[in-house]
Amino acid sequence: MAATSMAAALAASLPAPEAAPAPAAPTYEAIPASMSKAIDIEAEIPLTCVQLDGLVVAKILKHTRESTSSSAHGLLLGLDLDGTLEVSNSFPLVHHSSDEDDKSSKSAARYQASMLRSLKEVQSDDSVVGFYQATTLGAFFNQSLLETQAVHHEKLRHGGIVIVHDLSQAARGNASFRAFRLTRAFLEAHKKLISHRLTFSSILEEVPLKIRTSLLLSSFLGTLTETSRSPLADASPASATSSLLPPSFNALNLGTANVTRNLEQIIEAVDSYRTEEGNLAYLSRQIARERAKADNYVAKRQEESAARVAQGLAPLPEEDVSRLFKIPAEPSRLESMLLLGQIDAHAKNLSGTASTGLVKMHAARASSGV
Amino acid sequence: MSTVPSSSSAAQNASAATVAPRTPSLVTIHPVALFSILDHYLRRTDTQDRVIGTLLGTRSDSDVVEVKSSFAVLHSETSEQVAVDMDYHRTMYELHHKVNPKEVIVGWYSTGSNLNTYSALIQNFYSQETAPHQAIHVSLNTGVVQGEKAGVQAYVSSPVGVFPKPENCVFTPVPVELKFHEAERTGLDLLTATAADASSTSSQPVADLEILEKSIQGVSDMLDRVLAYVRSVVAGEIKGDAAVGKYLMDTLGSSTEDLEKGGFNASLQDTLMISYLANLVRSQAEVSSRLALTASS
Repeated sequence: MAATSMAAALAASLPAPEAAPAPAAPTYEAIPASMSKAIDIEAEIPLTCVQLDGLVVAKILKHTRESTSSSAHGLLLGLDLDGTLEVSNSFPLVHHSSDEDDKSSKSAARYQASMLRSLKEVQSDDSVVGFYQATTLGAFFNQSLLETQAVHHEKLRHGGIVIVHDLSQAARGNASFRAFRLTRAFLEAHKKLISHRLTFSSILEEVPLKIRTSLLLSSFLGTLTETSRSPLADASPASATSSLLPPSFNALNLGTANVTRNLEQIIEAVDSYRTEEGNLAYLSRQIARERAKADNYVAKRQEESAARVAQGLAPLPEEDVSRLFKIPAEPSRLESMLLLGQIDAHAKNLSGTASTGLVKMHAARASSGV
Repeated sequence: MSTVPSSSSAAQNASAATVAPRTPSLVTIHPVALFSILDHYLRRTDTQDRVIGTLLGTRSDSDVVEVKSSFAVLHSETSEQVAVDMDYHRTMYELHHKVNPKEVIVGWYSTGSNLNTYSALIQNFYSQETAPHQAIHVSLNTGVVQGEKAGVQAYVSSPVGVFPKPENCVFTPVPVELKFHEAERTGLDLLTATAADASSTSSQPVADLEILEKSIQGVSDMLDRVLAYVRSVVAGEIKGDAAVGKYLMDTLGSSTEDLEKGGFNASLQDTLMISYLANLVRSQAEVSSRLALTASS
């Protein structure tokens, strides 16, 4: 109780209440008692749910479909209220090439800042809460996603979330959006993975996601889906009723075009995993060799020095072994772990396709009466 | 032989286009543009009656204008004057242009369906932005006012009077269509399902099988409806419609030869194989991730 009242006091005194919804105006009114529980300046209330606005859903769909590269990404804007992160707007980010120089990252930052400023002028939410990322066939684990997310984690309230949208699943008839955030364990172990007993399944944790349409949007969608009867009395059954959004049966499509690509991607991922494992094995062999050399040297020296002591001479002076032998640093296993995660995701997607395919085939057989 | 006349006619078209581009005869709108407009309308200030903004899109060679997205523009209207924040409009356009260079300004939108002098003035401003092409105006009625139906109208304008003035123009309606890619269809389905829900929310992610179940349920319901109709026709309760009958025959009489010839079993084996493979790969991945932990600890 003391904490919330302190939070309320803080809310009234802070110059920029970035997440306080009630006192948006510069004159700080007293926060109503009903709201004081929901306001937390220090982001103390943990996120339990992410709520995605219909507009954001449509924007992400459009951007991910239109972008030529598979890594379409953008920023999510919104605010959090009483444990629910409400994402109300989004905008795409410029796709920059892999060899990212200083100039392009600077211009990207400028673009972001001026977009946020512009959106603020038309009363949109302007606090960044995370980003979205497109993916195909279920695999979204990669270094850049984790890096971006780790960078965001330091800057954003609640560490930011990432929303993943699967394009191939949308084409199959299931528009899927999932929200993730980095687990605490991963953040602590960002550098030294093994000692923290992490596998790919414990890097990201999924946050429940809800989709919400504003009342205005709901009513408008209602008008869009309304069916109207054709004015002609004797119109053919095909054109008797018309609607802007006729029902679609995409989900029942028997085509298995994606399976081949999915299999190809699994093979690719397995190949790169093997390469990565080979690299790791080579590195660890090298480490072992260097270490053995160093140990040998130390043992020899100790022997010598023991022999000298036995002969009544002064022992050899202590030497810094680590300067003589360069033992390579332990390699990072993040990449191989992520590749495993990718393989897993692809395989999961494949088994999903297979299981729905099975159902569809039996349905087709039942309906054709074979 | 036939290339000569067609190329010359194309050249004629091109020369005609440089003089005066063709008037758009169809406007297609992407749902995102409409949703952004609705969101902008929700976020208007108390003093604003309507909101306006810029429409971005592409023009095809023919006379179709595709509206792909939209952004809000600040403006103020009083009984004496109208002001549009042009700097804001330019900045936003440049920002959008960076991400999506293909989309250009095609016109503007406003909410509400009344066209007045100010509409003509704003139209005049946007015509300069889109020159030499004509600017289109899309008015979206949000259906908030009682008695008015929600809907979308598109217009092009032409000057009127012997001495054309910017505040006078005729808005000619142009047909509008909702247009989106097939892959986005599922997203719209998701939104309409969400909108139909009483709480206007739906939780994600939905399993593939769940969606499939719903679709099959839908098909089965439809079959039941058709069956009931056919039975009542057979029983003589309703007079049969020949057109419906023919339509049903076309739809349901599709060939199943491929399935009968053992295609089903072959396909079944493939699918089961894939399912087996997928599970194998997953367990392998799990095992190797655990092994990596023990190997180096």
